[in-house]
Amino acid sequence: MAQSEIRITNEGKEFRNEVMATHGADKLMHCYQCGTCTSDCPVAKRVPEFRPRNIARLAIYGQKDRLLDGDLVWLCAGCYTCYERCPQKVHVSEIVSALRQLALREGKIHPTIKSIVTTIPKHGYISEIGEFENEMRADDGLPPAPTPATEEIKAIVKKTGILGRVGGA
Amino acid sequence: MKYAFFVGCTVLSRLPGYEKSARKVAEKLGVELVDMPGSSCCGTTYMETLDRKTALALAARNIAIAEEMGLDIVTVCNGCTENLTKTNKALKEDPALRAEVNEILRETGKQFKGTVEVKHYVRMLKEDVGLDKVKAASVKPFKELKVGAHYGCHLLKPSDEMLFEDPNDPKVLDDLIRATGAESVDYPGKTECCAGPVMGIREKVTWNVGMDKVQTVKKYADAMATCCPFCYITYERCQFMTETNPNLPVVHIPQLLGLAMGLTADEVGLSTNKVDASALLAKQEA
Ligand code: SF4
Ligand code: SF4
Repeated sequence: MAQSEIRITNEGKEFRNEVMATHGADKLMHCYQCGTCTSDCPVAKRVPEFRPRNIARLAIYGQKDRLLDGDLVWLCAGCYTCYERCPQKVHVSEIVSALRQLALREGKIHPTIKSIVTTIPKHGYISEIGEFENEMRADDGLPPAPTPATEEIKAIVKKTGILGRVGGA
Repeated sequence: MKYAFFVGCTVLSRLPGYEKSARKVAEKLGVELVDMPGSSCCGTTYMETLDRKTALALAARNIAIAEEMGLDIVTVCNGCTENLTKTNKALKEDPALRAEVNEILRETGKQFKGTVEVKHYVRMLKEDVGLDKVKAASVKPFKELKVGAHYGCHLLKPSDEMLFEDPNDPKVLDDLIRATGAESVDYPGKTECCAGPVMGIREKVTWNVGMDKVQTVKKYADAMATCCPFCYITYERCQFMTETNPNLPVVHIPQLLGLAMGLTADEVGLSTNKVDASALLAKQEA
């Protein structure tokens, strides 16, 4: 099917607008489908279904389900190669970020990401650095890790409401 | 020279060799790295793509700790460098955003003021200490050692935020490798990403990306040098995921610098490297 034959529904339009309203994703419509992003993407080289150009196209047509089902938007390595090389400054990396945020809203967060994000307020780090870890550090001749003020971090995530949205509160 | 030292989650918990060598090399060069009390995860990558405001607030809180110390920040992680640098820039340039983030921070008692800078360790060595001084300190230089530099992404990109070297033609790691007397080799795909962040999504993709580079570097060099914990972990671990382990030593750049400065293998934590890197020791001038 030729690209021009894809029709956008009202729902699709709404979704596209939501993508574009997210920080850094406002240039989506400037994409002219040149494919530079796909040809230089390290993930696209190994994962046939991950095509940055296609992600941009699907977002332009508001294809919410095709974008948010499965692990597609979580496969981006965030390397910014597409950001650097896009002749139109579309910044697919930022489109992907926008899509992740919208996936989160739909309750479609990837479990790995969920577990990392919920660990941060618990331990202050992306994994626990407690007594055991500090003993290991001492064995290596290192000072104890800074004790993260977890109360302060909890106050931050409470205020932004991120944990509630992630489903970890 | 004195900095607030932001070590970051992954190095703190998993890479003692990186942290130890970074501290010792700084000491050798007269650079004081002061730990940051109460510091935490910077919020890079995962939080950053999921919720910008939370990530900004986490980073701003850490920056505020350095501001209270009156010191610029030095990090040893590309991811931390990127998130802290971007946050610092955004909040310095946009008063409305700063007010919003400071409001999120209110209960923590910390406020972002915009009084410090953020630098990666290797950038600090190049811009503040100077390559000449690093070279002069290399009293036990390497001889006939070939090293392939891997820069990773977020030391340089996004380039309009990081404002450092050209991501297509970076220099700092090559310069530092040369300062140790080793040869820094060029190889195809030098500036390519390690795909580390995909590890938790589809592990195999990361191992394949990693092995491609390890096998390429092995054709040109005796070892690989990195400046990011995620890249390091990828290139080290991917080698154990195949039956034909290529056994290419992967070192943290300060380990290489430290050895050249006459630090012992123990002082740079060389035994913590999972691919045996002791062959490097035989390539030093007595
Ligand atoms: S490089 Fe830019 S313009 Fe070209 S296809 Fe990718 S997003 Fe579209
Ligand atoms: S940022 Fe993501 S989409 Fe863009 S080139 Fe890197 S891995 Fe591919």
